[in-house]
Amino acid sequence: MEKNKAKILVIDDDPDFRDAVTPILESALYKVVIASNAEEGKEKIFSEKPDLILLDIMMDSLFDGFSLCHAIKTYKEYKEFKDTPIIFISAVKEKTGSRFMFKGEEQGLVGPDDYIDKPAKPKDLIARIEKLLRK
Amino acid sequence: MLEKKPVILVIDDEEAMRDSCCQILLKEGLLTETAEDGSIGLEKVKETKPDLVLVDLKMPGVNGMEVLEKTKEIDPNIITVVITGYATVESAVEAMKKGAYDFLPKPFTPDQLRIIIRRGLERRKLTLETESLRKEKKLIEDSFITMVSHQLRSPLVAIMQYFEVIIGGMVGEVPGKQKEMILKARNRLESLMNLINDWLDVARLDSGQIIDKLKPLSLKKIIKKLIDDMEPLTKDGYISLELGSCSKNDLVQGDEETLEQVFSNLITNAIRYNKPKGRVLITIKENKDFIAVEVQDTGIGIAKDHLPFIFDQFYRVKRGEDQKIKGTGLGLSIAKKIVEAHGGSIQVSSEIGKGSIFTVFLFKGEKDDSKA
Repeated sequence: MEKNKAKILVIDDDPDFRDAVTPILESALYKVVIASNAEEGKEKIFSEKPDLILLDIMMDSLFDGFSLCHAIKTYKEYKEFKDTPIIFISAVKEKTGSRFMFKGEEQGLVGPDDYIDKPAKPKDLIARIEKLLRK
Repeated sequence: MLEKKPVILVIDDEEAMRDSCCQILLKEGLLTETAEDGSIGLEKVKETKPDLVLVDLKMPGVNGMEVLEKTKEIDPNIITVVITGYATVESAVEAMKKGAYDFLPKPFTPDQLRIIIRRGLERRKLTLETESLRKEKKLIEDSFITMVSHQLRSPLVAIMQYFEVIIGGMVGEVPGKQKEMILKARNRLESLMNLINDWLDVARLDSGQIIDKLKPLSLKKIIKKLIDDMEPLTKDGYISLELGSCSKNDLVQGDEETLEQVFSNLITNAIRYNKPKGRVLITIKENKDFIAVEVQDTGIGIAKDHLPFIFDQFYRVKRGEDQKIKGTGLGLSIAKKIVEAHGGSIQVSSEIGKGSIFTVFLFKGEKDDSKA
């Protein structure tokens, strides 16, 4: 293991996706922590203090990824984490899945720092993570 | 929910008239705004977003009829009531045609004003309720398609993600033959996902969901962006992809996302079915009511007996066995549905061995007579 590589929290309800994405992140020497729903994600944010969060949009409900993102970016209880980069990962594509519905600004929600469609291309995923972590 | 007090905007050049209307309305517990001429009135319509506008027909400058029209443009849900001393049947009819809800001839009693305002506000309430129901219905439908999309794609996405990890060598080296097969499996899976995407597009188009609000769009801008995006596709066949002549006016009434899809599809086809070192030329022309975009290729062309069917769902022009089939067979039918949902049309002419020209006609964007 390299020195001090960043810790990434993956919040996704699909166990196969979590299993598949973990080796990608580990190949870039990140530490990976997983959570299988928004609730568990909340706990892990406080206990693990991740450097970046990969967040699925649709888990138990259509919007829970969005609500969690908004909460992290704006609520007082998450103050410590408001600058933690968040990347949305979703299987719903722009054209087919009415991503426009999720345009957070229109519903007064604060959106993520980046957005990646599933399946994620390993190189693309790593590049985007690196970029956000460098900031 | 907290009910806001209704706001009535009174537009009249006579100060006495404005004052007396306001007095009556304030007693009714309504909020009032006033304007002494049409152009100030329209500014206030934008600023204060009134529930109802009382407007005098005869005013110097911007007259009442114009105020009616412009108010409808700003927000079609605002109720307008016309007041005038020149109450004739003709002006009443014209005002109604311009979207006025009611007509109040001068002089009128406080009671007459109260009744008409009350009726107008009831109408306003109904309009707003209908609007919010419509939105809610759309949200439910959109959510349904989003859910279906999610349920169908999730398992495939998980499989695909495993493939990406294996192919990327992130869980150990994969021997050549195995890697080759996994790549093939991934390609088939990718086709299946594309098919699902296209099929969902068709579903959304058929339920009239995609074309939501049309707004003026520059076709030149859309096409320039697509040409930049598609540059990499031209590399394999050394194909030149360029935007030729453009008419001065390139504005259409359109929905950006879906129109991009149309031209992306046509340009991709023009590249894909071209000859090596071929050319794809896009031009934008203007005629009386339409803007026409031509996508011309120097490719293999389409035989006459196939031409009538190429916009049908799942129709494919049969070619030799060795020809790799890409795409889902839905692309052109989706393009046609999108263009038709815009009130436009799409045409093709082709000559085997020489190439094809696809032309898309769309309504011009600046004026909005289409709803009449």
